[in-house]
Amino acid sequence: MTDLDAHQDSPPDRVVTCTARIAELPERVRNQIAAGEVVERPASVVKELVENALDAGGREIRVDLEEGGVKLVRVVDDGIGMGPEDLVLAFCPHATSKLRDVDDLEHIASLGFRGEALASIGAVSHATILSRPADAPTGYRIEDEWGDVSSVVDAGGPRGTSIEVRDLFLRLPARRRFLKRTSTELGRCLDILQRLIIAHEGIGFVVTHDKKRVLDVEAGMDRRERVRRLFGADLADALEPVHGEDGTTLLTGLVAPPRFGRGDTTRQMWFLNGRPLRDKVLIGVLKQAYRGLSVEQRQPVAFLSLSMDPALVDVNVSPTKSDVRFRDDRRLFGFLVATIRRALAATDMATPGDRMLSTIARRGAWAPAPQQAPLPDPGPQRDDGSMRGARPASNVDDGFRVYEVPASGESARADDPWSKPDDLAGPYVKVAKTYILRAVPDGFEIVDQHALHERITFEGLKQQLAAGGVEVQRLLVPELVEVSRSEGKLLETHAAALEGIGVFLEPFGDTTIAVQGVPALLRSTDSDALVRDLIAMLGRIGAPPPATELLEEVLHSMACRSSVMAGDTLSDEDVHALLRRAVEVGGAQTCPHGRPTRVHFGLADLEKAFHRR
Amino acid sequence: MKVLCEREKLREGLTVATSVIPMKSTRPAVENVYLVATDDALELVGTDLDVAVRFRIEDVKVEEPGTALIPARVAADFVRDLAGDTVTLRTKGDNLLIESGDDCCELTTIDPDEYPVVARFEESDSVRVMAATLTRLVSRTSFAAAREAGRYAMHGILTQTEGDELKMIATDGRRLAMASAALEDADAGSKSAIVPTKGMQLFCRVMDDPTELVAVHFGESQFCLKTTKAEVFARLIDGEFPRYSAVIPPSTENRLEADATTLTQKLKLVANVTSSDTRAVRLSMEKGALTIFGRSASTGEATAHMPVDFDGKPGTIAFNPDYLIDGLKNCESDTVRLEFNEKTSPGKFTLGENYVYIVMPITIDA
Ligand SMILES: Nc1ncnc2c1ncn2[C@@H]1O[C@H](COP(=O)(O)OP(=O)(O)O)[C@@H](O)[C@H]1O
Ligand SMILES: [Mg+2]
Repeated sequence: MTDLDAHQDSPPDRVVTCTARIAELPERVRNQIAAGEVVERPASVVKELVENALDAGGREIRVDLEEGGVKLVRVVDDGIGMGPEDLVLAFCPHATSKLRDVDDLEHIASLGFRGEALASIGAVSHATILSRPADAPTGYRIEDEWGDVSSVVDAGGPRGTSIEVRDLFLRLPARRRFLKRTSTELGRCLDILQRLIIAHEGIGFVVTHDKKRVLDVEAGMDRRERVRRLFGADLADALEPVHGEDGTTLLTGLVAPPRFGRGDTTRQMWFLNGRPLRDKVLIGVLKQAYRGLSVEQRQPVAFLSLSMDPALVDVNVSPTKSDVRFRDDRRLFGFLVATIRRALAATDMATPGDRMLSTIARRGAWAPAPQQAPLPDPGPQRDDGSMRGARPASNVDDGFRVYEVPASGESARADDPWSKPDDLAGPYVKVAKTYILRAVPDGFEIVDQHALHERITFEGLKQQLAAGGVEVQRLLVPELVEVSRSEGKLLETHAAALEGIGVFLEPFGDTTIAVQGVPALLRSTDSDALVRDLIAMLGRIGAPPPATELLEEVLHSMACRSSVMAGDTLSDEDVHALLRRAVEVGGAQTCPHGRPTRVHFGLADLEKAFHRR
Repeated sequence: MKVLCEREKLREGLTVATSVIPMKSTRPAVENVYLVATDDALELVGTDLDVAVRFRIEDVKVEEPGTALIPARVAADFVRDLAGDTVTLRTKGDNLLIESGDDCCELTTIDPDEYPVVARFEESDSVRVMAATLTRLVSRTSFAAAREAGRYAMHGILTQTEGDELKMIATDGRRLAMASAALEDADAGSKSAIVPTKGMQLFCRVMDDPTELVAVHFGESQFCLKTTKAEVFARLIDGEFPRYSAVIPPSTENRLEADATTLTQKLKLVANVTSSDTRAVRLSMEKGALTIFGRSASTGEATAHMPVDFDGKPGTIAFNPDYLIDGLKNCESDTVRLEFNEKTSPGKFTLGENYVYIVMPITIDA
């Protein structure tokens, strides 16, 4: 792609002659090629410019976009600014004030350091810098039109820097063609901006698109308030703080209860030493931390900052700096997962009743009377119609903005219903042999007895495993399951690991497996399904299975398979025992497949349902 | 159709029939009760397609034979609440009138052709047995049958005859109950069928006189029972019952005899502590003494002791206490006998005469 660009836009007189087939590329072309690494689309321009503004000590940053950033990206800061000498060099490749020496690479703390961004951007757009250092009486301006850099001229302007990038790739049709629709490009710009906004507490941001304000965050807002402003109160209020230290490594931030999981990763943010990044290891950390709590395909929502000695991490793996390499990633992984899981255990995993009410309302079953509710400030997103269409999937919020409960009413919901003195007593109302309704101190809850039982079984199996061995219920008569030759082999290879978790299989001829024993906690097992699950799982995990991980996977699937209690009529005693066990094992708010085990209706929800607020 | 009958008999018949009739069915006709008035009797037929019952009321006056298909529950409720001693059932156009004294209700009927064919009891080749015997065998075994999952064949009771003996076996793959008793016939030959537990329980409900001699028939696809009042049919489970005979140990090295009530009480005691995240309780035996021990990672542990007769090598075997308690509930003698060879092999409990209960042990880091 970049080669193509170079040909199309290189001046014909300098690139190719008949005699010499090899020639040095003119600098302008080199920059345009280099730009391909740094600048892919408007969002990359936004990222580079905002990072520069942050490096320059800006406290209030304004970003103006037009046509998804394709027509214009302008970033204005109130930072230290650049004098004429700086401006002359600003568009030069490898000109930077942030790195003097290769040794410095080890100690990079600031956000950018390679001095390539402005040069690259200038090569593929019409870029203008207007800057005025704090001590200068006036400002200065320099322009870079498609690689042609102007001289520095005096220009009036406020303290700080404004960098304007117009018509990105306009003269490079091959690149331009790869740009997507305005809404898509805007979505990408906003995604990176949201990450930067969440990352940088203490900095105010205003973002406009086509002159309309789309994001607006004041400098004084902390991370939770920023989430509230960007993504709504429902999420912000449910977030649980995370804090953990391991030597010089520090993990802080906020995680959302599993039910907030979504189809995309727009609300999954990692910041390494202040800088947003999308790193495979860190994405894996979240996946592992939410395992068993959230439905497999859902992406957890979390806003996490990792700060560590720059010497322990190489950030220069990729030019876009999104992937990094950690020195000791196994230890780090363990530390991060454990810290996040601890925080998650404290989150409220029940599906709140208000969420259900809003779903009902959206289906039109009943209409709330919004004029009676003291509506909170709906936030900037709502003012702006264009924003909603462009922002990646914010539909969930739209449904329930209307029902937002004033902060006072939220107090009951915000804390964990289990931590209250609750004797778990009846009366219980049993619905369809599946659900149990019960009054709790601040409202009522509905328990899915099947989901809850699955969860308890899963936790019990894990506990047995930790305590040194899973109890094996021997079977009266081995149950025979037909398998293919290769499946049989697979099971045989992993026989020892499977016995460790209470599954005793024996080959019975070439294509038959005899199930001799199963974990005793599974009250009833479908041997066929069990063996099928095992085969699928082992196939997925592949050769030597990391013991604990395999075990967890298997227990997980088996617990859900043992369809205990589906449609069993439970006596009051059974119900009480079930609820008590849920408390004993803890963390029983979702079934191993991530379905909620209980739905909670607080008084606030009820008041809303009856239009009392 | 026009029939005059005793209210009480009709009420009883409707109760039995509605206990089978489903509330909702993919075939709406079976949500109804089918009335058949012949020259000398009124029959009430109900089915859920798996089990069916024909309840026969003899002392009736049939003025006009005929059939009618009426909503089962409304009819049963109405008849139950009637005050009079006699009831007249009479068709009027497309409706059926239920009249008693001054009270009357008129129910809409459904075309009887919609109703599935329900078999009749075949006398030939049937076997006679005392009602009490049949009921006892069912209650001795049915608790061990699979309920929620497991192989379909285990959702029923294997019912067999051999000479003059009737035998029932039920298992869920982890424990097995087997009981047998004498038939009234000297030689019934050898017959075998897997009867769904639900059907067996219906049989027991219909037999209200324990001393009555009833007839059973092992049909091609149905197991059938005939009492003086009713004929009951259960569709057989088509499948292979686990080959259980190998599981019953012919000889054992260890033999324990304990007071059944005390053992039950001690097991419940220990199970209080283990039930949350474990299943097993361990029985450690030595000469004269049994120690019952259970431990749970989250709750703690419990120990109980009791005197027993023990003959064998001192050792430990672990079981799911729920399984043991289930069996002990049905124990017919004061003492229960446990026999086993190793901690990984089946435990054989003798709960009465011709009554054996096998429980597979639980092993921990075996
Ligand atoms: N908004 C700004 N305010 C002050 N100086 C800036 C600003 N943007 C860029 N600069 C200066 O221009 C240099 C080049 O920027 P850039 O090409 O992004 O490279 P880098 O950020 O890696 O140093 C920076 O090192 C910095 O000195
Ligand atoms: Mg930079």
